Amino acid sequence: MRLPVYIGATFVGAALLGATPAFAAAAPAASPQAVPQLGAAVTVSHLQGSSGTVIVQRASGAPAAAVELWFRAPSIGFGDKPVPGLARVAAQTVAGSKPIVGPSLGDRIEAVGGHLAIIAYADSLAVAALVPADAAPEIVKAMTIAYFSPVISEEGFSDAVRDVAMEALISGFDPATVVRNDAFGQLFANGPDHYPVLGSAKDVSAVTLTLVRGFAERAFRAQNAVLVVSGAVSDAVLAGASRGRPVQANSPFELAETPISSVVSTSLVPVREHFDEAAAGYAWAGPPIGREDEATAMDFIADYLFRPGAGVASRAVEEQMPGAFVTGQFITLHNPGVMFVAFGDGDLTKLRPIVDRSLAQMRTALSAERFSSARDAFEYHLLSDLQTPTEMADNFGWYSVEGNLPYAPGADGKAGRYFAAAAALTPEFVAQVAEKYLTKTPASVILVPNPPKSSAAKGQPS
Amino acid sequence: MKLIRATAAWIFTLLCILPAEHSARATVARFPATSISSADGLRLTTQSDDDAALTGVQIFVSAGLAHQTRTTNGAAALAAECIVRTPVSASLAQSSIPMPVREAIEARGGSVTYSVDERTVHYYLESTPDRMPEVLKLFEGALAHPDFSGAAVAAARRTLDNRIAESEKNPFEVGVQMFRESFLQSGTAYPQYGTLATLESLGGSQVRAFYATTYRRGGMSVSMTGRVTPEIVAAVGRLAESLPSGAVAPLHVTVQPVPASTKRIIAQRDVARPFIIVGFGAPSPSDHDFGAMLVLEALLSSAFERSSATTLALGERSVGAVYFYDSAPASLVVYVNGGTGIDPTVALREVVLVAKSLATRPLGSDALKRFKAAATGEFVRSATTLYDRAYLIGMLASTSLGERGLNGALDAIDHASSADVQRVAKTYLQRYIVALIVPRQAQQE
Repeated sequence: MRLPVYIGATFVGAALLGATPAFAAAAPAASPQAVPQLGAAVTVSHLQGSSGTVIVQRASGAPAAAVELWFRAPSIGFGDKPVPGLARVAAQTVAGSKPIVGPSLGDRIEAVGGHLAIIAYADSLAVAALVPADAAPEIVKAMTIAYFSPVISEEGFSDAVRDVAMEALISGFDPATVVRNDAFGQLFANGPDHYPVLGSAKDVSAVTLTLVRGFAERAFRAQNAVLVVSGAVSDAVLAGASRGRPVQANSPFELAETPISSVVSTSLVPVREHFDEAAAGYAWAGPPIGREDEATAMDFIADYLFRPGAGVASRAVEEQMPGAFVTGQFITLHNPGVMFVAFGDGDLTKLRPIVDRSLAQMRTALSAERFSSARDAFEYHLLSDLQTPTEMADNFGWYSVEGNLPYAPGADGKAGRYFAAAAALTPEFVAQVAEKYLTKTPASVILVPNPPKSSAAKGQPS
Repeated sequence: MKLIRATAAWIFTLLCILPAEHSARATVARFPATSISSADGLRLTTQSDDDAALTGVQIFVSAGLAHQTRTTNGAAALAAECIVRTPVSASLAQSSIPMPVREAIEARGGSVTYSVDERTVHYYLESTPDRMPEVLKLFEGALAHPDFSGAAVAAARRTLDNRIAESEKNPFEVGVQMFRESFLQSGTAYPQYGTLATLESLGGSQVRAFYATTYRRGGMSVSMTGRVTPEIVAAVGRLAESLPSGAVAPLHVTVQPVPASTKRIIAQRDVARPFIIVGFGAPSPSDHDFGAMLVLEALLSSAFERSSATTLALGERSVGAVYFYDSAPASLVVYVNGGTGIDPTVALREVVLVAKSLATRPLGSDALKRFKAAATGEFVRSATTLYDRAYLIGMLASTSLGERGLNGALDAIDHASSADVQRVAKTYLQRYIVALIVPRQAQQE
């Protein structure tokens, strides 16, 4: 499964953890001829006159709708010199810039009682609104106009830099985010995956208005977009969607696919650095999204071990080391996927063996009875994580930009390809996949607690 | 330190005079219809979605905080934690070894969680519709025959001790609890999980006694969302029958009147910056003022915040408001998060100024539309999961909203007028209790 955006939000520090898709080669985008069938409740089409994808999922339930625009774009920009945070600042600038007539997109969504989030990943970007369902047509129109014909104001830009810098600052307090950034930086030698998605507050302040304009022109186009609407809506919700700028002949970047590459390191040098608390983690390169059987097996392993409150390792940590945390997830990416595990807030010499032992056990096939229960739980967890409009829209957006929309969990309900792959798993195959991917040397990170401040450092006599 | 971007007076003037930049829609779509039925005295509240992949069942038992005494503080949570840990019969679980019902349900492809509020403990079960009867059967075994042995109580206590330790790290939770202890009386004022000291003093016999007086068929109600089948309804009925018949002693929830002169409470915690909770009394969902208070919550949540294109997360907000309309009695808290860099003293003054201004002047029509839209959106967004809807329809079913439930709340927002908002501000926002959480170091220095 894709990585959730927020792994925690507290008053101590909201923790933003962006997933970082990795590309060894250009990911294919859906072509106008290839429109997958995802069941009776889902319509997949293309924006008129564009290769951009449109997905509408109709559901009853709460009178709410998620309206999301996904773009394939590197978080560090398209230029030779990486600019961490650029994609996030650019998207925030567009949402906050007021056109000559009418309000900004952010204000328009607020006016209908909606919620707007922008989430940057290493190779993609999601602009995600959750609004009352009857406001969805208005927001589809406003969002597509705002991004397909972007207006960028100086005020919108300065507000965006302020907000993203704050977000970067807050994310720096979260140990799992810091471990992830370090692990990905180690696992990938270069490319967007090598860099923190948001960058540091200093990185963000180095982003210029010129860079933002250049990025927006190239990234925010209908041809490069996936529009997803999910919730209590009909297909008529698309009536007002903008087609965007026309395709320009000889333009260097009018193709739907955007080559983004991150190269897996051939030699891994473990990272050790100081942080406010002890934490550690691993990252392994895993199967690409195209290997549906192996990717599903890796999802199963992550669920079996690390599902909060239910995973074998999670429960062991909860029972044996109260207050400590462990988190683990397989991040389904174009190529390669990544298994990421982080743990901390406790004695690492006791935590690490719990995690290592749990991972090692996966190389032995589970008993048939245990496996059957675990797979039932896995399938239930998938369904439970796909019950809101936002969860469904995120899911379709993610699998679409990663290049395998028909494999999205929930596509065609339980009759889709993902659940078929889950049903086909066997204990032996899961063990083989664990052996194949999780016995390699992982990128590894250890965060050592900062030494206590000396009395001199506090300005007191020593 | 950075000051709040605009003064309260400036904001309020703006709200009253300037037209809104964009008009809000007149109506909003509604939730699916809710029905309430009764079978052998058991209230069943249902909001069915035929296209849902899952079913959510919320079981309310009249065994909440208000049923506790000073000596049984923590018993409600301890009993609930023991119940979800109770081993179930091997013939029901796949394994030949008895396992805790929580794990047995997970192994069947479902989940069970619980939460404790003032009046009830509510258990939430979720699974695919075809598995739900079996899941309910498993839970029935634990609910009717819980394990309150010494070992089980000790294990449950350890879990609750950890939760208490976690909640102590959250200044919002600490501040709200401080306010509750000043506002509420007897059992309702106690923390959700008790305290370390009271939990330590509770053993199996006390928990068993608490269970015996509160887990009665007459004190149970159930709500269901997602795909609901006749088999599930039948299984719910059987589960209710597994509890002893009889009613639970009626509750007399009392509050301490919020004093006319401001009451301030201070606590020290491991926080980097001061955190303030301003607590007010508030109308219940049965009250005519419910909709107007939801509008006020939306106003107080956004009036002070910096302008940002994206919606700020809870931890990023400098000032926000939370209306605990599901509490009994209801309350509203406004929080000031010093961790965002604002000056808490200035922010507190601004909150108080706005509260007073709202009581003296009506909102302009455009401002009213704007905050009604915000309140509607917030309410809809707060009820998108099966869990949230099951909880809310079950909770609202016991108020005068009844079957109108979630849509009744949206109607209440729709019908709120400027005069209503002003009256509610005058009634509820002029007296308050301030809870201040400060860093330990600051006190020492």
